[in-house]
Amino acid sequence: MLEKLFVAPSKCTPQIDFDPESRILAVEGSSYPENTFVFYAPMMEWVKAYFGQESEQKTIVNLEIIYFNSSSSKLLFDFFDALEEASSSHDIEINWIFDARNEVAMEAGEDFTEDFSHLNINLVEKQ
Amino acid sequence: MDLKALHSFVKRDGIVFLTYGGFLSQTLISGMTEALEKEAQYNELGMGLSNNIFTIFIELSQNMMKYTSEHQRMSESSEGLIIVGKESDNSYYVISQNIISKSDAVSMNDRLKEVVELDKDALKKKYRELRRSGRDRHYKGAGIGFYEIAKRSDSVEYDFIDLDENTSFFTFKASVGQKVKGDIKC
Repeated sequence: MLEKLFVAPSKCTPQIDFDPESRILAVEGSSYPENTFVFYAPMMEWVKAYFGQESEQKTIVNLEIIYFNSSSSKLLFDFFDALEEASSSHDIEINWIFDARNEVAMEAGEDFTEDFSHLNINLVEKQ
Repeated sequence: MDLKALHSFVKRDGIVFLTYGGFLSQTLISGMTEALEKEAQYNELGMGLSNNIFTIFIELSQNMMKYTSEHQRMSESSEGLIIVGKESDNSYYVISQNIISKSDAVSMNDRLKEVVELDKDALKKKYRELRRSGRDRHYKGAGIGFYEIAKRSDSVEYDFIDLDENTSFFTFKASVGQKVKGDIKC
């Protein structure tokens, strides 16, 4: 059984809380590390291993990224790409959560929804 | 050191933030981001405008770290400067200056030439295309930082000055304004 992945947040990196038991994968906070791809490598590997296991149960992905730099934007794109690939054999629901005043986060969510039309992405406005 | 002169030019140019040095650590960036957040709160900047200033600042600082560190391998002297300031019309500017290698200058110049020519919609399209293809991805980033900056700016200017046969002095300025919502009628 895959172990839970938990990474505590820092000023420039979000909290990552991926729980294989509840099947909730949550990323919350800002993301602008200098070495984005190195920082997220364990998360991307975990996701690969997680969806490598068969399951009929639903997985919920909660993304609440307040601010992100351009390399994190690319990383998120790759993450969505991995989810889209997994979605052919897994039931995945994604919540893109944003503050109503944060237009950039809202637009980013809309762009991802267009780029990944096969994914089930909900744009969730936080009040 | 002429502290009075320092004070007067900081005041004259509406400087909110200034950093100079060869090396910008992630800790320093985080600290400066926090101070920019305070400036944003104090001057009641909208979330959109302060977010744009942070974005430009962070992309430019991280660019600088990347190119400065490559430059450091060739020479001992590496200098970088970032200024965040406020114009008299209440718009903000972010300027970065650093020494880069001639080969980086050539490739950056090509990219920037394209960036300044594209309008907002074309920039967004190009940004998403490059993000999808990963064409300009390098070991530290996605190669889309300047597109991100231009998307968030009202205008960008840049300049390369050759220092010798191997190095160039790179200056970049992005301006972002306060968006006035609706016409004011009296």
